[in-house]
Amino acid sequence: MSQRNITIKMGEGAVTNAPYIISSSGIGSCVVVTIYDPRRKMGGMVHIMLPDSNSVNGRGSPYHYADTAIVTVLGKLYNRGAAQQNIVAKMIGGAQMFICSDDSAPGIGKQNVSSIRQILQREQIPLSGEEVGGSYGRNVEFYLDSGKVIVSTAGKKEDVEL
Amino acid sequence: MSNNTQLITEEQIDFLREMMNIGAGNAATALQQLLQCPVDLTIPRVHVFPAAQVSSILDNPIEPVACVRMGMVGDIGGAMFFIVPEESREKLVKIAEKAQLGSRILPGRKHGEEGLSAIVEIGNILSGVYLTSIHEFCGLNIYHTVPVLAVDMIQPLLDEALIKTSLQIQAAVLIENEFVIEEHHIRTLLLIIPSAESVKPLIDSLEQAKKAYVSA
Repeated sequence: MSQRNITIKMGEGAVTNAPYIISSSGIGSCVVVTIYDPRRKMGGMVHIMLPDSNSVNGRGSPYHYADTAIVTVLGKLYNRGAAQQNIVAKMIGGAQMFICSDDSAPGIGKQNVSSIRQILQREQIPLSGEEVGGSYGRNVEFYLDSGKVIVSTAGKKEDVEL
Repeated sequence: MSNNTQLITEEQIDFLREMMNIGAGNAATALQQLLQCPVDLTIPRVHVFPAAQVSSILDNPIEPVACVRMGMVGDIGGAMFFIVPEESREKLVKIAEKAQLGSRILPGRKHGEEGLSAIVEIGNILSGVYLTSIHEFCGLNIYHTVPVLAVDMIQPLLDEALIKTSLQIQAAVLIENEFVIEEHHIRTLLLIIPSAESVKPLIDSLEQAKKAYVSA
Protein backbone atom coordinates (compact mmCIF):
# COMPACT_ATOMS: atom_id res chain seq x y z
CA MET A 1 0.00 0.00 0.00
CA SER A 2 1.46 3.30 -0.96
CA GLN A 3 1.28 5.74 1.90
CA ARG A 4 2.27 9.31 1.48
CA ASN A 5 4.56 11.01 3.92
CA ILE A 6 4.84 14.65 4.94
CA THR A 7 7.81 15.66 7.08
CA ILE A 8 7.70 18.78 9.21
CA LYS A 9 10.66 20.50 10.87
CA MET A 10 10.95 22.49 14.07
CA GLY A 11 8.48 25.40 13.99
CA GLU A 12 6.41 23.94 11.13
CA GLY A 13 2.93 22.45 10.86
CA ALA A 14 0.78 20.52 8.38
CA VAL A 15 -2.91 19.68 8.00
CA THR A 16 -4.01 16.77 5.81
CA ASN A 17 -6.09 13.58 5.70
CA ALA A 18 -5.81 9.80 5.26
CA PRO A 19 -3.79 8.02 3.93
CA TYR A 20 -1.02 10.48 4.74
CA ILE A 21 1.56 10.07 7.50
CA ILE A 22 2.99 13.23 9.05
CA SER A 23 6.36 12.81 10.73
CA SER A 24 8.84 14.96 12.60
CA SER A 25 12.29 14.12 14.02
CA GLY A 26 14.61 15.28 16.73
CA ILE A 27 12.14 16.64 19.29
CA GLY A 28 13.82 17.77 22.50
CA SER A 29 12.30 20.58 24.54
CA CYS A 30 9.93 21.30 21.66
CA VAL A 31 6.48 19.66 21.73
CA VAL A 32 4.71 18.02 18.82
CA VAL A 33 0.91 18.17 19.02
CA THR A 34 -1.31 15.99 16.83
CA ILE A 35 -4.95 16.97 16.39
CA TYR A 36 -7.31 14.42 14.82
CA ASP A 37 -10.90 14.04 13.74
CA PRO A 38 -11.43 10.23 13.54
CA ARG A 39 -14.76 10.53 11.73
CA ARG A 40 -13.33 12.48 8.85
CA LYS A 41 -9.87 10.89 9.12
CA MET A 42 -8.24 14.27 8.93
CA GLY A 43 -5.83 15.97 11.22
CA GLY A 44 -2.89 18.24 11.72
CA MET A 45 0.46 18.19 13.43
CA VAL A 46 2.68 21.01 14.71
CA HIS A 47 6.26 21.02 16.02
CA ILE A 48 5.93 23.79 18.63
CA MET A 49 9.00 25.66 19.91
CA LEU A 50 7.75 28.10 22.54
CA PRO A 51 4.82 28.30 24.98
CA ASP A 52 3.52 31.78 24.23
CA SER A 53 3.65 34.11 21.23
CA ASN A 54 3.27 37.19 23.44
CA SER A 55 6.60 36.59 25.19
CA VAL A 56 8.57 37.37 22.02
CA ASN A 57 6.07 39.68 20.30
CA GLY A 58 4.93 36.81 18.10
CA ARG A 59 7.75 37.05 15.58
CA GLY A 60 7.98 34.28 13.03
CA SER A 61 5.43 31.68 11.96
CA PRO A 62 2.28 30.99 14.04
CA TYR A 63 3.50 27.37 14.20
CA HIS A 64 6.39 28.44 16.46
CA TYR A 65 4.16 29.07 19.49
CA ALA A 66 1.72 26.85 21.40
CA ASP A 67 -1.10 29.41 21.51
CA THR A 68 -1.08 30.39 17.83
CA ALA A 69 -0.11 26.94 16.47
CA ILE A 70 -3.01 25.04 18.02
CA VAL A 71 -5.58 27.68 17.06
CA THR A 72 -4.23 27.75 13.48
CA VAL A 73 -4.50 23.97 13.07
CA LEU A 74 -7.98 23.88 14.62
CA GLY A 75 -9.11 26.69 12.30
CA LYS A 76 -7.89 24.79 9.24
CA LEU A 77 -9.60 21.59 10.38
CA TYR A 78 -12.90 23.38 11.05
CA ASN A 79 -12.66 24.96 7.59
CA ARG A 80 -12.34 21.49 6.11
CA GLY A 81 -15.44 20.34 7.92
CA ALA A 82 -14.04 18.79 11.10
CA ALA A 83 -16.35 18.93 14.11
CA GLN A 84 -15.02 20.13 17.45
CA GLN A 85 -16.83 17.42 19.45
CA ASN A 86 -14.98 14.66 17.52
CA ILE A 87 -11.48 16.09 17.76
CA VAL A 88 -8.81 14.62 20.03
CA ALA A 89 -5.22 15.73 20.60
CA LYS A 90 -1.96 14.06 21.61
CA MET A 91 1.31 15.63 22.67
CA ILE A 92 4.88 14.41 22.53
CA GLY A 93 8.17 15.94 23.66
CA GLY A 94 8.92 18.63 26.23
CA ALA A 95 12.13 16.99 27.43
CA GLN A 96 14.90 18.52 29.47
CA MET A 97 17.96 17.22 27.67
CA PHE A 98 20.67 18.34 30.07
CA ILE A 99 20.12 17.52 33.72
CA CYS A 100 21.79 20.06 36.01
CA SER A 101 21.48 19.93 39.75
CA ASP A 102 21.35 23.74 39.92
CA ASP A 103 18.43 24.20 37.51
CA SER A 104 15.55 25.38 39.64
CA ALA A 105 13.38 27.17 37.08
CA PRO A 106 11.28 24.95 34.78
CA GLY A 107 12.88 24.57 31.33
CA ILE A 108 11.23 25.42 28.04
CA GLY A 109 10.06 21.79 27.70
CA LYS A 110 7.92 21.92 30.86
CA GLN A 111 6.63 25.39 30.00
CA ASN A 112 5.58 24.16 26.54
CA VAL A 113 3.74 21.15 27.99
CA SER A 114 1.84 23.17 30.58
CA SER A 115 0.91 25.89 28.08
CA ILE A 116 -0.41 23.29 25.60
CA ARG A 117 -2.54 21.64 28.33
CA GLN A 118 -4.16 24.99 29.12
CA ILE A 119 -4.79 25.87 25.48
CA LEU A 120 -6.36 22.48 24.69
CA GLN A 121 -8.58 22.81 27.74
CA ARG A 122 -9.65 26.30 26.69
CA GLU A 123 -10.42 25.05 23.15
CA GLN A 124 -12.30 22.08 24.69
CA ILE A 125 -10.15 19.49 22.94
CA PRO A 126 -9.54 16.33 25.03
CA LEU A 127 -6.00 15.03 25.33
CA SER A 128 -6.17 11.33 24.41
CA GLY A 129 -2.46 10.51 24.70
CA GLU A 130 0.86 11.96 25.73
CA GLU A 131 4.54 11.02 25.96
CA VAL A 132 6.23 14.02 27.54
CA GLY A 133 9.10 14.99 29.84
CA GLY A 134 12.20 12.94 30.55
CA SER A 135 15.62 13.74 29.16
CA TYR A 136 15.69 12.10 25.75
CA GLY A 137 14.95 13.13 22.18
CA ARG A 138 11.94 11.77 20.29
CA ASN A 139 10.71 11.14 16.73
CA VAL A 140 7.00 11.07 15.87
CA GLU A 141 4.90 9.47 13.12
CA PHE A 142 1.21 10.37 12.91
CA TYR A 143 -0.99 8.04 10.82
CA LEU A 144 -4.01 9.88 9.43
CA ASP A 145 -5.88 6.68 8.51
CA SER A 146 -6.17 5.62 12.16
CA GLY A 147 -5.01 8.55 14.28
CA LYS A 148 -2.25 6.31 15.65
CA VAL A 149 0.94 8.04 16.80
CA ILE A 150 4.26 6.18 17.08
CA VAL A 151 6.98 7.72 19.24
CA SER A 152 10.55 6.46 18.84
CA THR A 153 13.87 7.45 20.44
CA ALA A 154 17.56 6.99 19.69
CA GLY A 155 17.72 3.72 21.58
CA LYS A 156 16.63 5.28 24.88
CA LYS A 157 13.47 3.23 25.21
CA GLU A 158 11.02 1.05 23.29
CA ASP A 159 8.76 2.66 20.72
CA VAL A 160 5.48 3.87 22.23
CA GLU A 161 2.11 3.83 20.46
CA LEU A 162 -0.39 6.53 21.44
CA MET B 1 30.64 28.08 4.09
CA SER B 2 30.95 31.25 6.14
CA ASN B 3 27.55 32.81 5.73
CA ASN B 4 27.94 36.41 6.55
CA THR B 5 25.56 37.90 9.02
CA GLN B 6 24.62 41.54 8.85
CA LEU B 7 26.43 42.07 12.12
CA ILE B 8 29.92 40.84 11.46
CA THR B 9 32.22 41.67 8.55
CA GLU B 10 34.30 39.22 6.49
CA GLU B 11 37.47 40.84 7.89
CA GLN B 12 36.26 40.27 11.45
CA ILE B 13 35.48 36.64 10.63
CA ASP B 14 38.98 36.19 9.19
CA PHE B 15 40.45 37.65 12.34
CA LEU B 16 38.31 35.33 14.46
CA ARG B 17 39.66 32.41 12.39
CA GLU B 18 43.20 33.56 13.09
CA MET B 19 42.47 33.66 16.82
CA MET B 20 40.92 30.20 16.73
CA ASN B 21 43.92 28.80 14.82
CA ILE B 22 46.20 29.94 17.59
CA GLY B 23 43.78 28.45 20.11
CA ALA B 24 43.88 25.15 18.21
CA GLY B 25 47.68 25.00 18.59
CA ASN B 26 47.27 25.26 22.34
CA ALA B 27 44.48 22.69 22.23
CA ALA B 28 46.79 20.11 20.63
CA THR B 29 49.38 20.63 23.37
CA ALA B 30 46.80 20.33 26.12
CA LEU B 31 45.31 17.14 24.63
CA GLN B 32 48.76 15.64 24.21
CA GLN B 33 49.32 16.09 27.94
CA LEU B 34 45.93 14.63 28.79
CA LEU B 35 46.13 11.60 26.50
CA GLN B 36 49.89 11.08 26.77
CA CYS B 37 50.37 10.52 23.05
CA PRO B 38 51.07 12.70 20.00
CA VAL B 39 48.06 14.75 18.86
CA ASP B 40 47.96 16.46 15.45
CA LEU B 41 45.36 19.08 14.87
CA THR B 42 44.38 20.25 11.41
CA ILE B 43 43.53 23.93 10.95
CA PRO B 44 40.05 24.35 12.41
CA ARG B 45 37.22 25.40 10.14
CA VAL B 46 35.41 28.35 11.63
CA HIS B 47 31.89 29.22 10.51
CA VAL B 48 29.92 32.26 11.62
CA PHE B 49 26.20 32.43 10.94
CA PRO B 50 22.89 33.59 12.40
CA ALA B 51 21.81 31.22 15.18
CA ALA B 52 18.59 30.44 13.31
CA GLN B 53 20.66 28.71 10.63
CA VAL B 54 22.52 26.42 13.02
CA SER B 55 20.06 23.58 12.57
CA SER B 56 20.39 23.72 8.78
CA ILE B 57 24.17 23.53 8.99
CA LEU B 58 24.02 20.41 11.15
CA ASP B 59 23.25 18.18 8.16
CA ASN B 60 21.36 15.44 9.96
CA PRO B 61 19.02 16.36 12.88
CA ILE B 62 18.86 12.78 14.15
CA GLU B 63 22.62 12.15 14.05
CA PRO B 64 23.66 10.44 17.31
CA VAL B 65 26.21 12.51 19.21
CA ALA B 66 27.71 13.09 22.61
CA CYS B 67 27.25 16.71 23.62
CA VAL B 68 28.71 18.70 26.49
CA ARG B 69 26.85 21.89 27.37
CA MET B 70 28.53 24.74 29.21
CA GLY B 71 27.11 28.12 30.08
CA MET B 72 29.27 31.19 29.36
CA VAL B 73 29.50 33.87 32.02
CA GLY B 74 31.62 37.00 32.47
CA ASP B 75 32.04 39.72 29.83
CA ILE B 76 30.16 37.55 27.32
CA GLY B 77 27.14 35.44 28.29
CA GLY B 78 25.59 32.56 26.40
CA ALA B 79 26.19 28.85 25.92
CA MET B 80 28.79 26.56 24.39
CA PHE B 81 28.27 23.03 23.09
CA PHE B 82 31.09 20.56 22.50
CA ILE B 83 29.76 17.93 20.09
CA VAL B 84 31.34 14.59 19.24
CA PRO B 85 29.71 12.46 16.51
CA GLU B 86 29.19 8.77 17.38
CA GLU B 87 32.04 7.41 15.26
CA SER B 88 34.56 9.83 16.77
CA ARG B 89 33.16 9.18 20.23
CA GLU B 90 33.90 5.47 19.98
CA LYS B 91 37.47 6.20 18.89
CA LEU B 92 37.97 8.74 21.66
CA VAL B 93 36.68 6.32 24.26
CA LYS B 94 39.24 3.72 23.11
CA ILE B 95 42.06 6.25 23.25
CA ALA B 96 40.99 7.38 26.71
CA GLU B 97 40.90 3.79 27.94
CA LYS B 98 44.34 3.13 26.51
CA ALA B 99 45.71 6.23 28.21
CA GLN B 100 44.08 5.01 31.43
CA LEU B 101 42.48 8.39 31.75
CA GLY B 102 39.91 6.97 34.11
CA SER B 103 42.31 5.92 36.80
CA ARG B 104 44.68 8.87 36.33
CA ILE B 105 42.46 11.91 36.39
CA LEU B 106 38.93 10.71 36.91
CA PRO B 107 39.10 8.41 39.92
CA GLY B 108 35.92 6.99 41.34
CA ARG B 109 34.17 6.58 38.00
CA LYS B 110 32.34 3.36 37.30
CA HIS B 111 33.76 1.20 34.56
CA GLY B 112 32.31 2.29 31.23
CA GLU B 113 31.85 5.87 32.33
CA GLU B 114 35.50 6.69 31.72
CA GLY B 115 35.07 7.24 28.00
CA LEU B 116 32.21 9.65 28.45
CA SER B 117 34.06 11.40 31.25
CA ALA B 118 36.99 11.77 28.89
CA ILE B 119 34.70 13.53 26.43
CA VAL B 120 33.62 15.96 29.16
CA GLU B 121 37.28 16.56 30.01
CA ILE B 122 38.27 17.12 26.38
CA GLY B 123 35.31 19.50 25.91
CA ASN B 124 36.45 21.33 29.01
CA ILE B 125 39.98 21.69 27.66
CA LEU B 126 38.98 22.74 24.15
CA SER B 127 36.47 25.33 25.24
CA GLY B 128 39.01 26.60 27.78
CA VAL B 129 41.76 27.15 25.18
CA TYR B 130 39.44 28.93 22.77
CA LEU B 131 38.13 31.19 25.53
CA THR B 132 41.74 31.90 26.53
CA SER B 133 42.51 32.79 22.94
CA ILE B 134 39.60 35.24 22.88
CA HIS B 135 40.82 36.65 26.18
CA GLU B 136 44.38 37.12 24.93
CA PHE B 137 43.32 38.91 21.75
CA CYS B 138 40.22 40.77 22.85
CA GLY B 139 40.81 41.20 26.57
CA LEU B 140 37.38 39.71 27.32
CA ASN B 141 37.06 37.60 30.45
CA ILE B 142 34.76 34.71 29.68
CA TYR B 143 34.34 31.67 31.91
CA HIS B 144 32.34 28.55 31.37
CA THR B 145 30.07 26.88 33.91
CA VAL B 146 30.30 23.22 34.95
CA PRO B 147 30.03 21.03 31.84
CA VAL B 148 27.01 18.71 31.57
CA LEU B 149 27.02 15.74 29.19
CA ALA B 150 24.14 14.14 27.30
CA VAL B 151 24.14 11.52 24.52
CA ASP B 152 21.26 11.62 22.03
CA MET B 153 20.24 12.90 18.59
CA ILE B 154 21.83 16.25 17.80
CA GLN B 155 18.72 18.36 17.22
CA PRO B 156 16.97 17.62 20.54
CA LEU B 157 20.23 18.42 22.33
CA LEU B 158 20.44 21.82 20.69
CA ASP B 159 16.78 22.76 20.27
CA GLU B 160 16.43 24.68 23.52
CA ALA B 161 19.48 26.82 22.68
CA LEU B 162 18.28 27.29 19.11
CA ILE B 163 14.77 28.24 20.23
CA LYS B 164 16.07 30.88 22.60
CA THR B 165 18.08 32.49 19.84
CA SER B 166 16.25 31.72 16.62
CA LEU B 167 13.92 34.67 16.85
CA GLN B 168 16.62 37.25 17.32
CA ILE B 169 19.30 38.31 14.89
CA GLN B 170 22.40 36.80 16.37
CA ALA B 171 25.69 35.34 15.42
CA ALA B 172 26.78 31.84 16.39
CA VAL B 173 30.29 30.49 15.90
CA LEU B 174 30.93 26.88 14.93
CA ILE B 175 34.48 25.57 15.15
CA GLU B 176 35.13 22.24 13.43
CA ASN B 177 38.24 20.49 14.70
CA GLU B 178 39.87 17.42 13.32
CA PHE B 179 42.47 15.65 15.41
CA VAL B 180 44.73 12.83 14.42
CA ILE B 181 45.57 10.75 17.48
CA GLU B 182 47.68 7.76 16.60
CA GLU B 183 45.94 6.49 13.45
CA HIS B 184 42.49 7.74 14.46
CA HIS B 185 40.82 10.72 12.82
CA ILE B 186 38.51 12.42 15.28
CA ARG B 187 36.04 15.12 14.35
CA THR B 188 34.56 17.43 16.95
CA LEU B 189 32.47 20.58 16.85
CA LEU B 190 32.42 23.48 19.25
CA LEU B 191 29.34 25.66 18.94
CA ILE B 192 29.42 29.03 20.68
CA ILE B 193 26.11 30.90 20.98
CA PRO B 194 26.51 34.31 22.63
CA SER B 195 23.42 35.70 24.33
CA ALA B 196 21.52 38.44 22.47
CA GLU B 197 23.02 41.22 24.55
CA SER B 198 26.57 39.84 24.21
CA VAL B 199 26.80 39.86 20.42
CA LYS B 200 27.56 43.57 20.09
CA PRO B 201 30.24 43.74 22.82
CA LEU B 202 31.86 40.65 21.30
CA ILE B 203 31.98 42.14 17.81
CA ASP B 204 33.14 45.53 19.11
CA SER B 205 36.01 43.87 21.00
CA LEU B 206 36.85 41.82 17.92
CA GLU B 207 37.05 44.99 15.82
CA GLN B 208 39.27 46.76 18.34
CA ALA B 209 41.57 43.76 18.67
CA LYS B 210 41.75 43.40 14.89
CA LYS B 211 42.87 47.04 14.53
CA ALA B 212 45.46 46.63 17.28
CA TYR B 213 46.71 43.38 15.75
CA VAL B 214 47.02 44.84 12.24
CA SER B 215 48.86 47.97 13.43
CA ALA B 216 51.22 46.00 15.70
